[in-house]
Amino acid sequence: MTHLTMEQLLAIREPGLEPGVQAWREHAARCDRCQAELERLDQRVARLKALPTLKPSRDLFAQIRSGARVERRRRQWTRTGGVVLALAATIALAVVLVDRAKPERQLVAVSELQQVITRSQELERALASLDPNRGVLDGRAVGITTSLENRLAGVDRQIEMVSLMDPAVREREAIRLWRERVGLLDALMDARLTRARYVGF
Amino acid sequence: MDAFRLADADAVVHRVLAGDPEAQESLYRAFEAPVYNLARRICRTAEDAEDVLQETFLEVYRSLSRFRGDGSLWGWVRTITASKALMRLRRNKYRDTDELHDDVTPMRRDDAALRMDLEAALQRLPETSRAVVWLHDVEGYTHEEIAGMMDRTVSFSKSQLARAHARLRRWLGEEAHA
Repeated sequence: MTHLTMEQLLAIREPGLEPGVQAWREHAARCDRCQAELERLDQRVARLKALPTLKPSRDLFAQIRSGARVERRRRQWTRTGGVVLALAATIALAVVLVDRAKPERQLVAVSELQQVITRSQELERALASLDPNRGVLDGRAVGITTSLENRLAGVDRQIEMVSLMDPAVREREAIRLWRERVGLLDALMDARLTRARYVGF
Repeated sequence: MDAFRLADADAVVHRVLAGDPEAQESLYRAFEAPVYNLARRICRTAEDAEDVLQETFLEVYRSLSRFRGDGSLWGWVRTITASKALMRLRRNKYRDTDELHDDVTPMRRDDAALRMDLEAALQRLPETSRAVVWLHDVEGYTHEEIAGMMDRTVSFSKSQLARAHARLRRWLGEEAHA
């Protein structure tokens, strides 16, 4: 006598009626061995459902909250980045216009400013393209990232104020702040990539 | 899974969307255990399950505005968890040890000392089979849903479940009674 296979026993337990299932049900109803096997299957599933709920060995909420905060901040400065960059372009133009007396020096300054702004834009795009799920940040990485993003926010605020500065210093200040911004973005990139390597991607 | 339902899910969702940290914690406390349990049942290690737990909640906070409220909040969170855990299985590319389980270390039917308890037997299953067993038998996903989550066919899901139960039956010493 041919008894039911495990696939057929499992099919009997499924809702709906696949082809052949009715015949398998009829067989199980009159075959003691298949009936017993079906009951063991039911019991096994019941025991699986009754297994204890496993819990994490430590409270991870603080790390999750920090991670969520880092993400929110990143989204915020991604949104405001365009405004800051538009302002920077205006400042670059202002630097050119203010120093008519020294055309050679002004060209050098504008070129340098444009280079550093371009580098900043490239790094922002690279950071935005990193998958946020590439790896969960541990507590130390969250601390480093948060500190860098706070400093970045501070630099962005100073960049916004450059146009209000004394014309004699704002060219130099604009270049210095944009360099600092690039340095911070570089460090952020390193922090993210180090974490990505650490988790094995 | 009504046991995991928040007392006032709608209010908590709105508060989380508004950036309320207390609501974020309420959501975490309500679903921490079932999310970790599901992740741990699918992942090989506790460390992987903890990573899935964190990734799941970050995704929940990030995507909560897309939760439509037409199903249970736990159902939505559970699907994110299962998806993250399965993604981690694929990423880690653990060597599937089917052959080892079946042929290299066969278990003698009459050796009661070698019989495993269900917890150990479940852990011994290859991760894909274990994931299918858990998602189907415990979480109640259909073969169609599991196939969709794993990017495989319905037949694959059914055959994995059958192979897993055949192994569990053998490892638990149930053949001796057949």
